[in-house]
Amino acid sequence: MFDFLTHDMLAIIWFFLWCVIWGVYFIVDSFSLGAGLLVPFIATDKAQRMQIQSSVGPFWGGNEVWLILAAGGTFAAFPLVFSKMFTFLYLPMMLLLIGLIARGISIEYLHKDENPHIQKILMWGWFAGSLLISLVLGVAFANFFKGLEIASGGVYIGTLIGLFSPYALIGGVLFVLMSVTSGAFWINVKTEGAIAIKAGDLAKKSALIVLVLALVYLAYSFMGIEGFTTNYSAMPALYLLPGLAVVTAVLAVFFAKKDRIFPAFCSNLLAFLFVVESGLASIYPYMLKSSVSSEYGIDIFEAASSHMTLSVMLGGALVFVPIIIIYQLWAYTLFREKIKETDQVEY
Amino acid sequence: MIELLLLSRLQFAITAAFHFLFVPLTLGLALLVAVMETMYYRNKDETWRKMADFWGNIFKINFAIGLVSGITLTFQLGTNWGAYAEFMGDVFGPPLAMEALFAFFLEGTFLGAWIFLGHNRQKLKAFSMWMVALGTNISSLWILTANGFMQHPVGYEMAADGSKVVMTDFLALITNGYVWYMLIHTLLAAYLLTSFVVMGICAYHFLKGNNNEVFKKSFNIAVIIALATAVMLPVLGHGYAQYVTALQPTKGAAMDAIWETRSSVPMYLIQVPDSSTGSNSVQLLGIPGLASFLYTGSFSGTITGLNQLPQDELPPVEMIFWSFRLMTILGSLFIIVALLGLYLQKSGKLYTSKKYLKLLMWSIPLPYLTITAGWIVAEVGRQPWMVYGLLRTANGVSSVPTSDVLLSISLISAFYMVLLIFEIYLIKKTVVNATGVE
Repeated sequence: MFDFLTHDMLAIIWFFLWCVIWGVYFIVDSFSLGAGLLVPFIATDKAQRMQIQSSVGPFWGGNEVWLILAAGGTFAAFPLVFSKMFTFLYLPMMLLLIGLIARGISIEYLHKDENPHIQKILMWGWFAGSLLISLVLGVAFANFFKGLEIASGGVYIGTLIGLFSPYALIGGVLFVLMSVTSGAFWINVKTEGAIAIKAGDLAKKSALIVLVLALVYLAYSFMGIEGFTTNYSAMPALYLLPGLAVVTAVLAVFFAKKDRIFPAFCSNLLAFLFVVESGLASIYPYMLKSSVSSEYGIDIFEAASSHMTLSVMLGGALVFVPIIIIYQLWAYTLFREKIKETDQVEY
Repeated sequence: MIELLLLSRLQFAITAAFHFLFVPLTLGLALLVAVMETMYYRNKDETWRKMADFWGNIFKINFAIGLVSGITLTFQLGTNWGAYAEFMGDVFGPPLAMEALFAFFLEGTFLGAWIFLGHNRQKLKAFSMWMVALGTNISSLWILTANGFMQHPVGYEMAADGSKVVMTDFLALITNGYVWYMLIHTLLAAYLLTSFVVMGICAYHFLKGNNNEVFKKSFNIAVIIALATAVMLPVLGHGYAQYVTALQPTKGAAMDAIWETRSSVPMYLIQVPDSSTGSNSVQLLGIPGLASFLYTGSFSGTITGLNQLPQDELPPVEMIFWSFRLMTILGSLFIIVALLGLYLQKSGKLYTSKKYLKLLMWSIPLPYLTITAGWIVAEVGRQPWMVYGLLRTANGVSSVPTSDVLLSISLISAFYMVLLIFEIYLIKKTVVNATGVE
């Protein structure tokens, strides 16, 4: 299969797909994560909590699978990267894991018991899980863009504290706030009543903060991160990505001001997508960039699986990803009605 | 290094065993609820709707933990078994990615649809549950494809430098005989477990005097499934045992603690193996040739004994021997319990047979124990190999600080304990509150 493609070409295609899968994950999960980040602060009673829960309930599971696909795809297409990424970042990955479990259990069990204490614990569990996921991934991706401390022979010399540079922290906060904004717009779009109004007001403010922070983050990336501009100089068309990130972040603020919430929501999603892709475009051909010296980084050609594995997977992805997108979109149209405070869902 | 290896193995064992507490019931209930939803769609009998809602609730609670605890295993292949991931990525990665593409997206997307669709859109609701059931069951095919390679490597070649395996034939991976033996065995065991859970919960309500149609009908379905699977499992297991013995002589010999190579090997009803002496300290009541028949298909067949196999390739014999005994003894018990249940139900004495109903209730944990024992035979039985004959477990582990593993194992175990208690509490509440079943 795909014999007309060389091994290097397949590796490049898979790197491209890898960037796409991560991008899709970040945008589709941003509003489920955002809903969790907001629920303790904007829901005043059980009815409002249930509105928020129902707004993401049908979708969060399907959204999270994109993350699992990103992990599984890395394992299959670039096993060396999978192994190194998870081993180097052992503790952050464990935190991410705890976050994923806490988030999933909390959403599913939030109203399975009438005890208000249990509901409170689960509400904060949902929040803490969502915070861990968005923060850890934000910090991790900033570190990928900046480069990990990989020394000669693929030996990792970084420390846990070392991962929290100012750049990585801005990245972490940016991912959290982009999710908050996305979640707030989503709740406004998907619900009716007091909670929708509150979420809409909040989204307008946070969209502005996201715009400012995204500008800071991109400026820091281009001016303060070593080697970030190399690919951009070689291929100036790439500047479209950060350009679009800024434009869409501006559009999110603009549409929000005009109370056109759905376009604002989409713009915010695109801003998130383009921020992530701007960073990913800078690291090619490395998947794990080294901040010690570029020659120690792990590149896609070294990490790629065999020709056969890459082609089998490409075949699988080409057939199934479109089908998945179709039925996921169908699921969104299935639950397009706004959720009212009086709606009772047997969740 | 030993400590790191031990802790990493312990962590994987704990998380895999925990995950598999939830998987079998998910596999079985998904199909059962899909059937109930379909029956309700077809004949609008309210009993079917009540059944789908009640068992669906238990399914939801159970599925949630099964879903989140599965991610832990994928993560650990990178965090704790990085060397294995590098060695096996070419072969192990594709089934894992296919599992996400074929199965997880179906489960994740349609589970949300099924939960949030009301019975006023019954056709879509039933369809969604079928998609969830399809997803969960296909998921086991892919994960067992990956596991099957670890048990019996096929369709690969070693890289020129011996550093990793390279896939040469994807079709061979999926048509691996080991995969299909394991798949059918695992699915049947999952359906058996589900039927025993259903029967146990029904028994609880019969004892309380809640003899409503929901539980009666549920029991009648479950008892048939219980009997069918309980009978099929040993039949299949017989073929499976022969197949395993041919491929993994160490596992086969350890299952019955056969130390010396000989023909016409008897099976001893009472036997205590002792690996320190390389013999059995007790062996009584031998049935002539039975072990030979079980493992080779002929009463006079020759079995290679553990003492004649490479000594540095032996798995922990006692653990496998006792787990295997536990699995087969409980497996036989299930046939008797199911037969008795069918008899009592047919003769109309079921709802008054207090002793039998109590037995059913207390039997709920037994299939869980049996399945865990089965996995111990399968997975501990391939030790010291992580990939049989190709990669030793000791060489698959990540070089991470032992303190990190200690921290993560404590954190995850404590977290899992809380989840387990909470899950049991929720399921118990759901069961107890369902007296009227609305």
